[in-house]
Amino acid sequence: MIVAIAFYAFALILLASAAMVVTARNPVHSVLFLILAFFNAAALFLIAGAEFLAMILVIVYVGAVAVLFLFVVMMLDVNFAELRSGYQRYMPVGAAIGGVLAIELLLVVTGWQVAPEALHLSLGAAPAAATNTAALAEVIYTKYVFLFQAAGLVLLVAMIGAIVLTLRDRKTSRHQVIRVQTERSAAATLEMVEAGIGAGIGTLGIYRPLPATADLEPADNDPHADDPHADPVDAAHGGGAHGGSGHHAPEAR
Amino acid sequence: MEAFFATGFGHLVLVLLQTLALLIPLLIGVAYLTYAERKVLAAIQLRKGPNVVGPFGLAQPFADALKMLMKETIIPTGANRLLFLMAPMLTFSLAVLAWAVIPVNEGWAIADINVGVLYLFAISSLGVYGIIIAGWASNSKYAFLGALRSAAQMVSYEISMGFVIVTVLVCVGSLNLTDIVLAQRHVWFCLPLFPMFIIFFISTLAETNRSPFDLPEGESEIVAGFFVEYSAMSFALFFLGEYANMILMSAMTTILFLGGWLAPFGIEPFTWVPGPIWFILKICFCLFIFLWVRATFPRYRYDQLMRLGWKVFLPFSMIWLVLTAGVLMIFGWLPGAGT
Amino acid sequence: MEAAAMNWTVAVPEIALALCAMAILIFGVLRRQDATFLCTMLSLGALLLTGVLVIGGQTGAGFGGQFTADAFSAFVKLLILSGSAFALLLSLDYNEREGLARFEYPVLVLLATTGMMVMASATNLMTLYLGLELQSLALYVLAAFARDTLRSSEAGLKYFVLGALASGLLLYGISLAYGFSGTMDFAQIARILASPAHASAGLVVGLVFILAGLAFKVSAVPFHMWTPDVYEGAPTPVTALFGTAPKVAAMALILRVMIGPFGHLLPHWQLLIVLVSIASMLLGSLAAIGQNNIKRLMAYSSIGHMGYALIGLAAGTHAGVRGVLVYLVVYVFMNLGTFACIIAMRRQGRQVENISDLAGLARTDPGLALAMAAFMFSMAGIPPLSGFFGKLYVFLAAVQAGLWTLAVIGVLTSVVGAYYYLRVVKIMYFDEAQPAFDKRGASLSFVAASTGLFTLLFFIFPAPFVGAAEAAARVLFG
Repeated sequence: MIVAIAFYAFALILLASAAMVVTARNPVHSVLFLILAFFNAAALFLIAGAEFLAMILVIVYVGAVAVLFLFVVMMLDVNFAELRSGYQRYMPVGAAIGGVLAIELLLVVTGWQVAPEALHLSLGAAPAAATNTAALAEVIYTKYVFLFQAAGLVLLVAMIGAIVLTLRDRKTSRHQVIRVQTERSAAATLEMVEAGIGAGIGTLGIYRPLPATADLEPADNDPHADDPHADPVDAAHGGGAHGGSGHHAPEAR
Repeated sequence: MEAFFATGFGHLVLVLLQTLALLIPLLIGVAYLTYAERKVLAAIQLRKGPNVVGPFGLAQPFADALKMLMKETIIPTGANRLLFLMAPMLTFSLAVLAWAVIPVNEGWAIADINVGVLYLFAISSLGVYGIIIAGWASNSKYAFLGALRSAAQMVSYEISMGFVIVTVLVCVGSLNLTDIVLAQRHVWFCLPLFPMFIIFFISTLAETNRSPFDLPEGESEIVAGFFVEYSAMSFALFFLGEYANMILMSAMTTILFLGGWLAPFGIEPFTWVPGPIWFILKICFCLFIFLWVRATFPRYRYDQLMRLGWKVFLPFSMIWLVLTAGVLMIFGWLPGAGT
Repeated sequence: MEAAAMNWTVAVPEIALALCAMAILIFGVLRRQDATFLCTMLSLGALLLTGVLVIGGQTGAGFGGQFTADAFSAFVKLLILSGSAFALLLSLDYNEREGLARFEYPVLVLLATTGMMVMASATNLMTLYLGLELQSLALYVLAAFARDTLRSSEAGLKYFVLGALASGLLLYGISLAYGFSGTMDFAQIARILASPAHASAGLVVGLVFILAGLAFKVSAVPFHMWTPDVYEGAPTPVTALFGTAPKVAAMALILRVMIGPFGHLLPHWQLLIVLVSIASMLLGSLAAIGQNNIKRLMAYSSIGHMGYALIGLAAGTHAGVRGVLVYLVVYVFMNLGTFACIIAMRRQGRQVENISDLAGLARTDPGLALAMAAFMFSMAGIPPLSGFFGKLYVFLAAVQAGLWTLAVIGVLTSVVGAYYYLRVVKIMYFDEAQPAFDKRGASLSFVAASTGLFTLLFFIFPAPFVGAAEAAARVLFG
């Protein structure tokens, strides 16, 4: 009883939201209705006892595919009034094709007849003891392993295709080389300077990182840095010289 | 009493009671997490933190909540009203919904379902919607930029998270959360699967948009990202949602890697402490690391974030998964073969 | 029991090819630069290795009947492999000059080939679909490979959208067939259809949808619309590939599906195939007359050729299937040769594609003109070139099956078709000479010469090919 009510409720919402997907004026609303439809489909799966499929539907379609849809729809500036402009004109043609299809479907449905032999061919229910996740895994990795791997290859092709068609190696972009960054030691970049108490750093000039090369003097041999009474002009000059010698492009970009 | 709970209506009442029993402590936890964050950050930065409202500033979260409640909710012109208001509710309710399957102790889960891990994963993958919808409905450039960043970020990190979860599942042989915890009776998975534990934890940082992956908010570049236009209660819901998500992710880490409610080593003095207490302690430990990371690391640049997700975590977690499966296979440790 | 039914060794060639493709992909990625030539060479090696594996491979059903290796599949696979290998050779020079030299190209060709081989071996509707999708997806990407040119992107997009529609039709057909027969397995469907009472309307509708999806892949009328645009827009070596290997695979699939599971429904589908065949032949010969672009001309020509090949299927007999297979062999090699000549049409570093650009080729490059003329005569079906034999076998089969009208229309349309093929020859030999083409790469000369020799000399040694086709056809009829 409750199951039946739940089934009809979910099925009804599913159909209604599917209808809204095509009729909603705002494309973002369309995608949101699509998501609602996915949820209801997942709920129907749950009612049917296929909890694994239900969760996978939510994870894959709602969690990833629809996010990308939403992404694209939000970024695109589609003029939907323009898209709908031919609606009146194409309506009769569309209705005619739809009508023909509907009649054909009716014919098929009324001619419904499953071969009696076919009923024995179905795979049979999953073993009752296993959860449906385990039951699914059993056949996917054994009986259908070839198809499973082939599907994997299809996805690989899709991935290669996406990369081939869109990846552009810009000559101007600067690549980060993480190894070079992490191998830089503190000694190559920092210079420890003794600043006198109360003297401030004004007398010391501007310090820049020293180059990593070993031939430069160590910091504590610098006469200007050690001499608190140095002439300010001289100190500024010394600082300038430091700035000059330290003027090299940092390795890390 | 027993008979009453066995009836259909009684069952409903029971579930409601259970939900309340879980939700109220959870909400209090969320409130005090904000307080804890400020205190911990303050301690790390040699400050005092909130200490005025109530003893040790303990009433601070409630003062904040009251302040938020009193303020005016501003809806920007041109915003999509319905979606704008729906987004924060979605974020918060998703963070709460996921708790339905979390086992706090053996048998203490509201719904102990077969595919618990998948449920958690599904709910956490939905978290991105609150953010995208908020960003789009705000009708603001900064908000939209934040939303785009967050969508790409969360989808990317979900993949490596998925592989980590699969690795754990391979070791357990069940998708049921209780089974996962019980499989860790002898050794918590954080030891044999240590690299996966680290990857998972870092991915949860990215999933919750926490520092150092808080680019969707990125105050210094895109003001406050997706919730730049939010104020008052709608802002508070986002805020609470973020903290509820942190707790949820910590709970997930605890269940998958830290042995859930199990006492360490399963030996005498530790086993005197009841399971739920251990569970809470472990969550607190994870949360502390969340805060510690925030106080310590600078924010990632966007391309670095993507590089870490796709070029480091994804291949590494895939290789580790294959390795784990191989080791289990060779030594015949695969759980429940044949069922 | 499970292990015995799996019998995975029958799929060794496909597995080897897929693994090679992945290895070459990794090699190309790690190598970063100038890996294209090496990767192409490695891919040719992989195709060769696969060919050897196909010849020396096990036969029998594998994976619980989802996959079968038999004489038919081996015949088709070898044809597919040689088509892909030659198309890959053609791309070597072209891609270098057009700035398309990227290592993903050979990898995608290998993966597409894997898909085609799976199609050739499919004995289950799901295998059929996955093989087809693997092949198509790789080909969509290849069509758009020159991503900076508008026409190529357009070709890729068009092919993708229409191909997706065709896949949808196919899937709908498969679902109907499954719903009404209760199985995806070809042998089981055949067993169910053995009693006429089970040939329900649903199954027939499903069959029609499956046929429509497959007809799209061989570009038979009325599912041909994509062909001229895609042929014209795609990079020429890709067009050469489109014209050969995928057509063979799809045609083989049609043969296997129609004769195998739906063989008992012959009265239902025979008229359909006859109509499709007639329409394709008519459109192929009439629409090609007005074309100025040689790639578009080849597109209409391929539509017409598929029409001729379908005659053999319409006959629904053992001789008919043999005729189709011989036709495919002949068609693949003359098509590859023609495209080698087309790729050689470069002036001042740019590809030229108009038929008028060939004017006076006999004086500026007699060798190329001779090869092109041979292919054109062969396509027109002039004896003693190979194209004549291809047509001969299918027409014979049609006559034996009593399809006189079909055979007569086939002969008439080939006379019309001869007009535009011979026009190309006339332009090359009798028109005012245009400036000479650029020097062509050695690989083009090699392909043109070898396929040219095959086309010229086929009449001396048709026996091994006809014999192999005979053996392959016998498999389908049990």
